[in-house]
Formats: sequence, C-alpha cells, structure tokens
Amino acid sequence: MFSLPDWRGLVLPFAYLIVLTGTFMTFSTIYRKRKAQQSANLAPWFGPHLQRNVYLSLLHMEPENGSEKTPKVPESVLRAALLRRAVEDIHRIIQIRAAKAACSSLLQRGSIGDDLWQRFQRAEKEMEEELRDVVMEANALAPNWGQSIFQTANEIAANTVLRERLDEIQAQATQEKEWWEKRRATVRSEFMKELEGEETGTGTAPGTPVDSSSVASSPSKKKGKN
Amino acid sequence: MAEDLNTYTHLPLTMDPQSKSISIHPSSTLSGPQTRALETELAHLNALHRSLHSLDPPHVVPPPPIPVNPKRSAQVTKLRDSGNAEYKKQRYAQAAQFYTLGIQMALARPLWEPSQLVREEVHSLLSNRAQAHMWLQEWPEAAVDAEASVEAKRVGNAKAWFRRGKSLLEMGRLEEAREWVGKGLEVEGEEKELAELGREIERRLEGKSGAGGKEGAYGEKA
Repeated sequence: MFSLPDWRGLVLPFAYLIVLTGTFMTFSTIYRKRKAQQSANLAPWFGPHLQRNVYLSLLHMEPENGSEKTPKVPESVLRAALLRRAVEDIHRIIQIRAAKAACSSLLQRGSIGDDLWQRFQRAEKEMEEELRDVVMEANALAPNWGQSIFQTANEIAANTVLRERLDEIQAQATQEKEWWEKRRATVRSEFMKELEGEETGTGTAPGTPVDSSSVASSPSKKKGKN
Repeated sequence: MAEDLNTYTHLPLTMDPQSKSISIHPSSTLSGPQTRALETELAHLNALHRSLHSLDPPHVVPPPPIPVNPKRSAQVTKLRDSGNAEYKKQRYAQAAQFYTLGIQMALARPLWEPSQLVREEVHSLLSNRAQAHMWLQEWPEAAVDAEASVEAKRVGNAKAWFRRGKSLLEMGRLEEAREWVGKGLEVEGEEKELAELGREIERRLEGKSGAGGKEGAYGEKA
C-alpha cells in the first residue's frame, strides 16, 4: 500500500538521472571520437613519399597479365631505388631540422597552434622510423651498407644541389652575351661621341689593350694559387 | 592520412626485362601531375641505376664517400695544370678550353663522392677560366664563371669575387658591381684588392668620368 505512491514518486528523479548520464556519455564518446579522428586526420607534415612508394612497389611487383610468375626485379635496381629513398629522407631531415628551432620558439610565444606542433612531432617520429627502416633494408641488400647509405645519400643530395645551382648560373651565359653584344654597340657609339668631346672616355675598357706588365704579373699569382 | 609506416601506395610499375629500366605500367590510372612526378623520379632512378654499374667490381653499392678514388682527382689536376701552362704562354683561349675540360671532368664525378671535393676543384677551375675570359675581354663569360666559382666556394675565394666585380664594372653595370663587391667585402673582410675595386666603383658612380686610375688598377690586379 505504501510502496506504490513511493515508487511513483521515484520514477521522475530516476528518469532524470538516466537521461542526464545518458546525455553525458553520448556527448563524451562522440567528443572523444571526434578528437581522436582529428589528430589522426591532421595533415601530414610531408607529402607522399614517392621514392618510398617506388621502392616498395618494386619489392611487391605484381605478375604481368599474361604470365603467372612475378617479374623478378634485380637487386641492383632495388639498391638504386633504396638509395633514391635515402636521398629523399636526407632532404626531409634537413627540412625537419630547419623547422624544429622555428617551430618550438613560435610555440613558446603562442604564435602557432598546438596541432601544428603535434603534426611536427609526429613527422619527427615517423622520420626516425623511416631511417631505421632504410638502414634495415640496406643491410639486407648488401652487407654493412646500413652504415654508409646515409653518408652516400647525403653526398648525392649535396652534389645534386651544387650541380643544379652551377647549371643555373652557367645558363645565364648566352643571355648575358647577347645583352653585351648589343650593349657594346651602344657603348662604342657613346665612346666615339665622348672622344670628340674630351680626350679620355669612360668607354675605354672594352678596347683596352692588354699591357705587358700585367701579363707578367698574373701567372705568378696563378702559381701561388694552385 | 597519406603515409603510414606500415602501408604504402602501390604504383603501377613495369620493368623492361632487357635493360632493367623501370617505367610506368601502360594500364596506369594516375592523374597527369602524378604521372609527371613519377616519370621524373623514374628517370632519376634509372640514371642512378646505370651509374651504379660504373662501380669497381667488388663494390655493389657506393662505398663511403671517404677515401676518394684518386684517379679522377689526378685527371682534373692535370687538366688544370695544362690550362695554367697555356695561360702562362698567354694563350688564353686554349687555357679556357683546358679549364672547360677540367670543369666537365670534375662535374662528371659520381654523385656519391664528396661534394666538398667537387666544390674545391670546380671553384678554382671556374675562377681561372674567368680570368682567361677577362684577358680575352669576354666580360659576360668572365662574370658568369666568377659567379659560379663563388657559388662553389663562398668564403676564401676573394679572386672570384673580384673578377665578377671587375667584369661587371667593365660592362658598365656599376650598381650591380657595387652590390656584388659589397657582398664580397662582407664575406671576405677587408680584402685589399676587393676594397680597392669597391672604391673605384664608388668613384665611377660619383663622377662617371673618373676613369683616371682605372687602367693602373687593372694592370696591377688581373
């Protein structure tokens, strides 16, 4: 008799509690899921690693349409592909090193958000794993290659940059020459005018005869040099 | 997530059974830019593969950068010496040719050998060739060579800094020359001849007619 009204009185508070906890739980699960997804979805620091993909694709070549057996990629090709991968890693290491100091000081000042820092740290961690992986693969392809593959890759990276820069500079030569031919024509005519005006002109340079004293002095310098 | 440590993107590759060169499989469904990127990469890969064949037999992979195979260094030195000999005989065109051969030889050095060594060899050859061009009054070539020499070795290369500055001055590019020599002085400190050239450029910029001291400076330096 007494329990009946009591039960009815309790229904409302209980329902309230259930609804409340239910809402909280749903909210927290959804929130946490989103958060996890977000950090997983943070854009990677680097784009796809093309050289790595090439190397792994070569390792896992699929059989051609007609034949059954998988084409055998010779080890020399794999070595070249691994070396290319190591060279790209060197570029990435250089980028990471350059970014690290900048990133950490910007983070301290609060100029960049937390997610950028997270992305950076993940890139750093992935890079370490990548290097370890390359060393392992190198040792598998040739004895003790793991010790020197990054030295080699480093030189290849530096040499490539140097040659590119030199080529760029040397490529200007034709254009410069054309410009100078045109320019010289004007300089000459100016010079002629100046000659008429005063005795010494500024345009003497192109026509300066090589005087013997300087000829004598320069080879000695050369000797000293090389 | 583009890259995971345990996954990779499989690329449609195929290998020529004879030449062992790798190319994109004809059935590839990659987009235009992707194809281009992959093509360039494969070209690099095939070139590297071919150059690995030039390794001396016991090696299958490039040896560590040091010690260096002395053969090429000797050839480069020889070409430079021949160039210098021609230079002393005042046959500047021939000297420039030897220097050019030397530069080609130095730049053809396999990529895995020390880049520092290439810089050393190339900077002196380029600087010497710039000097030969200056005697031939080929200022644009001299300017370009000297710039390249500085690119190969920025510090301790006062001669190349001077030679480009001088060539620019001779071409009447005073503003450029001043900027260049200014940079050179920052790098090299108060290097005597470079500082002199700087002052001369200033004089020319001010007066544009103060050509008096020029001849002397040229003979003294070159």
